Amino acid sequence: MTDVLQATFIVGLFAGMIRIATPILLAAMGELVAESAGILNLSIEGTMLMGAFSGFLVAHITGSLWLGVVAAIASGALIGLLMAFLSATLRADQTVSGLALNIVASGLAFYLFRLAFKNAGSQNLPSVGAFSTVEIPLLGQIPFLGEVLFTQHALTYLAFLLVPLISLFLFRTRPGLELRSIGENPRAVDMRGLNVVRRQYLAVIFGAMMAGLAGSFLSLASAGLFVPDIAGGRGWIALAIVIFGNWLPARILFGALFFGLIDSSQLALQAVGLHLPYQLLLALPYLLTIAALVVNRSRSRSPLALGRPYNRAERGA
Amino acid sequence: MTTTGQGMPRGAGAGQLTQAKASARGRWRIQARMQPSAAWRSVSILAALLGAFVLSALLIASAHVNVGTALGVMVQGAFGSRGAVIETLVQATPFILTGLAVTVAFRGRIFNIGAEGQFFAGAMAAYWLATVLRGAPQAVMLPAVLLAGCAGGALWGFIPGVLKARYGASEIIVTVMLNFVIALVLSFLLANPWREPTSYFYQTALMPDASYLPRLVSGGRLHLGFPLALVVAALVWVLLWKTTLGYEIRAMGINSLAARYKGISVATTTILVLVISGAIAGLAGVGELTGIHHRLRLDISVGYGFAGIIIALLGQLHPVGVVLAAIFLGALLNGASAMQIVTGVPVALVNAIQGITLLCLLIADVLARYEIRRTAGND
Repeated sequence: MTDVLQATFIVGLFAGMIRIATPILLAAMGELVAESAGILNLSIEGTMLMGAFSGFLVAHITGSLWLGVVAAIASGALIGLLMAFLSATLRADQTVSGLALNIVASGLAFYLFRLAFKNAGSQNLPSVGAFSTVEIPLLGQIPFLGEVLFTQHALTYLAFLLVPLISLFLFRTRPGLELRSIGENPRAVDMRGLNVVRRQYLAVIFGAMMAGLAGSFLSLASAGLFVPDIAGGRGWIALAIVIFGNWLPARILFGALFFGLIDSSQLALQAVGLHLPYQLLLALPYLLTIAALVVNRSRSRSPLALGRPYNRAERGA
Repeated sequence: MTTTGQGMPRGAGAGQLTQAKASARGRWRIQARMQPSAAWRSVSILAALLGAFVLSALLIASAHVNVGTALGVMVQGAFGSRGAVIETLVQATPFILTGLAVTVAFRGRIFNIGAEGQFFAGAMAAYWLATVLRGAPQAVMLPAVLLAGCAGGALWGFIPGVLKARYGASEIIVTVMLNFVIALVLSFLLANPWREPTSYFYQTALMPDASYLPRLVSGGRLHLGFPLALVVAALVWVLLWKTTLGYEIRAMGINSLAARYKGISVATTTILVLVISGAIAGLAGVGELTGIHHRLRLDISVGYGFAGIIIALLGQLHPVGVVLAAIFLGALLNGASAMQIVTGVPVALVNAIQGITLLCLLIADVLARYEIRRTAGND
């Protein structure tokens, strides 16, 4: 390879890493907030798919990508509301509720897509002109770094900006600390006269909105089209990365970037024409996620009350 | 104490709330039932199914199609003729098995989301053995292939079992990850070493005839897998309610801490549950492979493993319920294909109906645990 080719290869690799990490990061940071309030929301994958679909549909109809993004966030909020109702109000089993909502959301997205685009086949998929990247003035001019870091989608900047913001919120502000206390010991928060259920609603809805937003990134920024398997397990990966990141924003960021790097290197190597068994390379992040679960468990910072329905009337334990 | 979930064994919630006794003015209040009666639970299930039906009808209506016509076509397509009934049972066969696989796991509160991957692991092991044994007579080939399928699925269940038992890794995440891994391994094999040389498609060559599950009726695809699935349902019932292991699984599902105090090895039981669950899902994979397709492709499952979760929960984690739910789902799928052809309502409707039904049942199940009662409380 010549130097020029080598440079494009490396820029493509790292720019791809950041682009691929974006939706996972968005969803994982949202899930972190929900889990901080003690609610394990397993419906992220379905929510993402629904976000990708509703974002695409609205953008296709109105011609406005940003309206699509708003629609994706709104659809996420709706699914989050249902999840909060099931888990915080009805106190249903969170695992089962999350799985059920997952199936509802992906089933509905699939059905509504077929309904809205009856003639969509693999040859003539409907599409929208996707978001183009936004070059940040001056910073974008820096060789190498500018192309990797500062020539990305607007939603990518947002995702990376949200990491320190959510981190500050959760660890340095009063409402954030109250939220995390719910995840550790809901009764203690309740006894102080703070409304546990309302905070759980807000946290779960926020998390689901982030998943919806992540979905819109897939359909409106990455692809410009919608296919029923567009989420491709990224919602599950986001869930895994929260565990992998041990509920710490900085490590979640690292996890998302790491996943992005592997996926991106697979794409980059294919683009160069290297004949690798790319399927096996693609399996690597999933295997590494499993490995991380195994390695991490002794120092887990998992919220103590995560996944346990909080019942005011129930005493003890 | 954790609140038990939808269809989970009862009794764990029995410690909930007994309060509001005493004095003065009567008042309506919502309180938890100690033990929902069977009648009340049946009512709640019926209400849930009705709710799901209404929502599904609304979905059909949203396609600007006469709901009555569409449903009529659906019922016709599912049960309207001998051929339709047979095809419904064909569709139900893998559903029964994956539903049972999930049932065994969920009874022990082991959330095996990996039936889909175990299905493929089973099919792949069976295909591999069939090519190794090429030329063997059916009496050898068929049992060997079926066992290989169980073994493949069991192995793909063993991995999350060990990781959970030894390292506390969440079986939910691990099984989901393994679903992706096996799909990628299969697509690698189909693209390269296992690919039929003359084929444009990503598929293997046809398997040897001796490995085919015998067909049971003329002019239909119903194969030995269906009665086999019913036998497995009976075995699962025996396992869960007539054996020590089954008792331990259910005890672990109700309260794993209490089970540990009773001297049950939670680690061993966890591994066994996932191995058994995986083996049953693997059997579903062989069934489809050797009963229907006779060659390995990526689309031998249309999400049977994930549907297993729905079926297990619809069937209230009971083998009889699972068989009924699987036939219901088979009918739904079969009827929806007819509906798509006649009315143009997409078959994907089935995916939405499944989820909605499950959600309604979940809500009904929770609500069945509460009652409105006039109490003599003053609080």
